[in-house]
Amino acid sequence: MSPEDLIARCQAGDVEAFETLYQQHAARLYTLACRMAGSQEDGEDLLQEIFLQAYRKLGSFKGDSAIGTWLYRLALNHCLDYVRSRQAKMNKLTETLDADTSFQPTARRETPIARLDLERAVERLPEGCREAFVLHDVEGFDHKEVGKLLGIAEGTSKSQVFKARMKLRSLLLGNR
Amino acid sequence: MHPTDTAIKDYVDGTSDPFERNAVETHLATCEVCRQVVDDLQEIKRVTGTLELREPPVRAWGRIERAIKLEQGNDTARSGSYAFFGKPGWRKPGTIPYWLAAAAVLLLATVVGLRYVPGRNQAGSDGDGVETSASASRAADAIESELRLAESHYENAIKGLEAAAKSDEDALDPRTAATLQKNLAVIDQAISESRAAMRAQPASEPAKQSLIENFKTKIALLQDTVALINEMRKGNEAGAARIVSGLKQKG
Repeated sequence: MSPEDLIARCQAGDVEAFETLYQQHAARLYTLACRMAGSQEDGEDLLQEIFLQAYRKLGSFKGDSAIGTWLYRLALNHCLDYVRSRQAKMNKLTETLDADTSFQPTARRETPIARLDLERAVERLPEGCREAFVLHDVEGFDHKEVGKLLGIAEGTSKSQVFKARMKLRSLLLGNR
Repeated sequence: MHPTDTAIKDYVDGTSDPFERNAVETHLATCEVCRQVVDDLQEIKRVTGTLELREPPVRAWGRIERAIKLEQGNDTARSGSYAFFGKPGWRKPGTIPYWLAAAAVLLLATVVGLRYVPGRNQAGSDGDGVETSASASRAADAIESELRLAESHYENAIKGLEAAAKSDEDALDPRTAATLQKNLAVIDQAISESRAAMRAQPASEPAKQSLIENFKTKIALLQDTVALINEMRKGNEAGAARIVSGLKQKG
């Protein structure tokens, strides 16, 4: 089935076609949601909300961009809404983060950092700097775009990403 | 003097201008602490670039599908597309006693209305909507952690029951199965809403209780489903009637 046929079937309300669309894009969107939310549980909830919203809005998809791009954009906006809803908590936690980002010496690293350890550490990053880190270092947005997406200044995006990296360093290496 | 955070970050990202880069490298040649920081940050950056996609849990599509079906208002089973109930090969409608349809309707009445509605004076939902005290934060963390444990406990129970119900799904007629599926979608929606309430108000005890109650309701429905399937497979109409009667009392 061509991508156009698949989308047409989805737009007609065909749930099996929509499942195919889900299987094609779920991993990418779930990964984004988990990292932005900071937990797999919240990531799963967000994934459900994202695909429900996609199902409702597919009728307005005109094919101006690839369906993957459209879904990613929708997912990103949904994750950002979620992040904004936790804004109050974010401010509180970001304040406590400042104490953690000094240039403290850590134990000498003898082995490379494992991907899984890094994934877990990213989940433990405080609200605020985690989203900036995910958008910039993982998703590849530049600081100007991150600033726009998160509603912060470009300079704030830079400092949040730096704080996140220093916090990751402390989480991954500080206790060795 | 150590380089600034920005200088270190730009150096690690390779975005320093030549003058800055030279200044940082001169410093790193003599400062072990900064050298170590830069090494570690470069390693973190390298590993970040290798992170892989995660596969969502298998149950995730089932939840989405049920919610879609609920939105569609679809109360009839469709062949070949249900993740849980409703696969082809079911018994033909008409061979099931009328009381099963009544039970299905009753089940729906039992679970509708589970949605979490925040009260006006709940913890964590004061006029400002902002919590700043350390004690509130600790309370929220404690509740979140307790809830995680409870969630994991309930999710395991639900998984086991879903597997049991699925393995015997042929015993249900399409109409009953469709209604049960609709019920599950209602409960899943309520669980989602409770989770959203917990996210918005992490310290809210009512939101937590609502979530746990919704888990319990889902477990109870699945338990009743499994029991009903068992009685039907045995052809025990009296046993099935007892279950229906129990459902009536719950309703």
